[in-house]
Amino acid sequence: MEGNYGEDEEFGFARNYFIAKELGGSGKKSSRKLSDIELVDEQELRAAARSIESKHEKEIGSLLNSYKSLYPKWVFELRCGFGLLMYGFGSKKALIEDFASTALTECAVLVINGYLQSINIKQAVTAIAEALWDQLKTRRTPSGDFPKVQQPFNSRSMDDLLAFMDGSHSEKNDCFVCVVIHNIDGPGLRDSDTQQYLARVAACSHIRMVASIDHVNAPLLWDKKMVHTQFNWCWYHVPTFVPYKAEGIFYPLILAHGGTAQSAKTAAIVLQSLTPNAQSVFKVLAEHQLAHPDEEGMPVNNLYSICRERFLVSSQITLNSHLTEFKDHELIKTRRHSDGQDCLYIPLATEALEKLLQDISQ
Amino acid sequence: MATPDHAENDLQPFFVLHKALVQKSERKSSGSRKIRRRIELSPISAKNAEKMEIGTGEERDDHHYEHLRMEAFNFVWSKIESTIKDVLRNINLNVFNEIHRWVCESFDAIKSCGTTLTKATHSYPIVTDATFRQLFTGLVFTKNMEFVDDLMTFEELGLHLKSHGCHVANLSSIDFSANNGIGGCLRSLLRQFLMVTLDAADISILASWYSDQGNYNKPVVVIIDDMERCCGSVLSDFILMLSEWAVKVPVILIMGVATTLDAPRNILPSNVLQHLHVSKFLLGSPSERMDAIVEAVLVRLCSGFCVGYKVAAFMRNYFLRQDGTLTSFIRALKIACVEHFSSEPLSFMLKALFVEENSQGFWSEEHALFPEEMLKYAFDLPSCRRNNTEERTGENLAHDLSELKRLQKCWSTTVLCLYEAGKYNKIQLLDLFCEAVVPCLGNSTASNHHLGSGISSSSDHSIHHQYLISEKCSFICQAIRKVRDLPVVLLYQLLKSWEKLTEDVIEIHDKVKELQSLLKFENGKSLKQDLTNIPKRHTSRSHLNMDKDSKVLNEKAARLMETMVRDYMQPVECIPFHEIVCFKNVDKLQSESWGED
Repeated sequence: MEGNYGEDEEFGFARNYFIAKELGGSGKKSSRKLSDIELVDEQELRAAARSIESKHEKEIGSLLNSYKSLYPKWVFELRCGFGLLMYGFGSKKALIEDFASTALTECAVLVINGYLQSINIKQAVTAIAEALWDQLKTRRTPSGDFPKVQQPFNSRSMDDLLAFMDGSHSEKNDCFVCVVIHNIDGPGLRDSDTQQYLARVAACSHIRMVASIDHVNAPLLWDKKMVHTQFNWCWYHVPTFVPYKAEGIFYPLILAHGGTAQSAKTAAIVLQSLTPNAQSVFKVLAEHQLAHPDEEGMPVNNLYSICRERFLVSSQITLNSHLTEFKDHELIKTRRHSDGQDCLYIPLATEALEKLLQDISQ
Repeated sequence: MATPDHAENDLQPFFVLHKALVQKSERKSSGSRKIRRRIELSPISAKNAEKMEIGTGEERDDHHYEHLRMEAFNFVWSKIESTIKDVLRNINLNVFNEIHRWVCESFDAIKSCGTTLTKATHSYPIVTDATFRQLFTGLVFTKNMEFVDDLMTFEELGLHLKSHGCHVANLSSIDFSANNGIGGCLRSLLRQFLMVTLDAADISILASWYSDQGNYNKPVVVIIDDMERCCGSVLSDFILMLSEWAVKVPVILIMGVATTLDAPRNILPSNVLQHLHVSKFLLGSPSERMDAIVEAVLVRLCSGFCVGYKVAAFMRNYFLRQDGTLTSFIRALKIACVEHFSSEPLSFMLKALFVEENSQGFWSEEHALFPEEMLKYAFDLPSCRRNNTEERTGENLAHDLSELKRLQKCWSTTVLCLYEAGKYNKIQLLDLFCEAVVPCLGNSTASNHHLGSGISSSSDHSIHHQYLISEKCSFICQAIRKVRDLPVVLLYQLLKSWEKLTEDVIEIHDKVKELQSLLKFENGKSLKQDLTNIPKRHTSRSHLNMDKDSKVLNEKAARLMETMVRDYMQPVECIPFHEIVCFKNVDKLQSESWGED
């Protein structure tokens, strides 16, 4: 009896499903598209996101408090010459700054916000050197030799600054400046030159470093010399579950985004993996788009004739295969021209497109 | 902290969180707002000052012991670090001396070419003789893919050559990157010789420096750490430039090579290779260095600090399977040391126990002053709980600690003797060490599994070692077996080395001397027989006798080794109060060295 009942129910459900499909199919198709949905204005969205109530505040608070018991050990390790690397889910900014303000009061602390889009590393290192200079001045022993007034820090070269920070100025070896770097794997610090400089800074005898990472591939930034001898990281897993409010400021909100904007960098990577002919076809399209910024795009026929002239393709089929590949990688999109023709366009801003052309021409 | 201040700081590329507490006057923020921001210091400083002045007696005590532990750590680690440096320097000394000899010979050859060094610095000196100006180049083969281990080596080489009167500059592959180009490496070179940073670096500046009084009678050596990581084009340009200017500045090049000695052929074009007059040098292998460090730090216990068997196994696996660099091994040891001194309250005793000379004097004074809580904690340590009959006094503690020291010495002597025997079978000390630290574990050991359970704890370790001796796969067993198979001459050498090693452990020393005298007696007998004229038949019989006699000696030596392993090789984790000197927390070490999995 029960089994039958179950079967009936399933049968009924299946029947209803197919009826609904039929009815739906016979009706008029809606002409609305997903892209017609009006998305919320970004400012409104950000304001709304800011006013979201944070959940589990009590639990997060007690978790952060529990980390306070680790502070003495962290100070001990910093004094022994290690660097501290914090990882774990959640923003570690508040935790590290709290640690620095409460446990590292005897030394100057400089904070670098690595999550910002661009950071001038030379200016940051100059500021570190100046902070060290201030600290050494106050600790100067009457008998100790102290370098006389030299040229101001902001006109010195990076190598000079590093030599200053590494020199043994005072007998006391525990005189150091602590550099806190939030998101040492952030976009502004990711390039190899900056990481090399940071490593050399960390290796200086008067500098100690505390940093946090969030990117899963962050360890790829460093080679063994940097990890073992320069940064000398001690890893600490400190998940905080605190939202990334400060770190996410410059990232576009996903809800406002729409997902149509393709960053130039990923496009460049994809293009570099294609054959030279495919790249040249793409270049033709890009040049046309840059030359005619007000048009909807390049008609396919025009593209074909230019590519044939330049011997990039031999037939329509070859061109179509290139275009399919571009579409698969979301490098180009199709639009309807006012004439009714299909036009191709690259969904990138003009500057991004110029940069992309530069990248693939190298 | 005011919120608007806070929010604005979040958007600055960098800002000063606070200045050092010692400073009384507040520094006004100068310069543009964008670069500096200060957060109010007073509330925090007031709180801290309060804590430091008014703290309770207990807090002051804690602070005092924390300071003692910090001091002890510094002492212990600097001892370990200097020991490692000395060990590595000794390994490299032969090669360094060879290189120095070659540098002097090359410099003499350059001088004897007869070119005079004029003070004029033309941009393109005219090459007077028809032959190529070749640069004397030494390729130092590191036999190690991990260049990080050899950073120290090349630094030491530079210091060694400097101490023998050469001008030395150390360059690394960063100076030869494509970004910096030839200007970058020249700048680095000039900075090291002239002690100034110049924006417009030119080789003529080097030439004029060299021709200065006092500079030109010494060879100029340029050491490039890791040749394979240099940008080929920049390196080629550099070599060509040096060879053009070889008349003015006779540079001798030393390059570190990791892969094969043919590596220059892969990186440099043939027209550049023609300018190099190459000599080859080989450094000691990484395993040689590892053994030397394990011997000096973990077996001979230069500082008294030691690690437990799980930690030893982790460090060994980490080295063999993951990282492969000596640097990371030493770093893991340092992390273990830091962990030990920051978490074990009694670790401050290590300094007095092992490092200071008059430890006896210290103990007799200090043990009377040990606070009650500390004694209670010490006698409550897991390793002491078995022996509850002992009275909890400072005197007993001092006595037990000196007993620990004595047992450690015996253990260390036995392991070193095993290593000497194992050398004939190419056994690595790291492997022997990891076996030798394994303690008896009660019911869960393989030994119990092998020999049945229900064994009393006091004889556990000797039974476990019986297992080690009999188990064919163990390195210790292999070492002992080798003793049985050694020919007489090598056995003699082995016994000599044992004689030296066992000087501090009289019981073993006497037995070794006994064996040595037997061996001499046998040798003497065989010598006499060789001298006299004996028919062939008799010779073969006497040879057989001689063989049998020497086999008896081998057997005796092997038995002695077994006795030593059984009776004198007590692993530290079996000794009471070992928690003071031994670090065992492998989980902490693993998560801190490399993060959690």
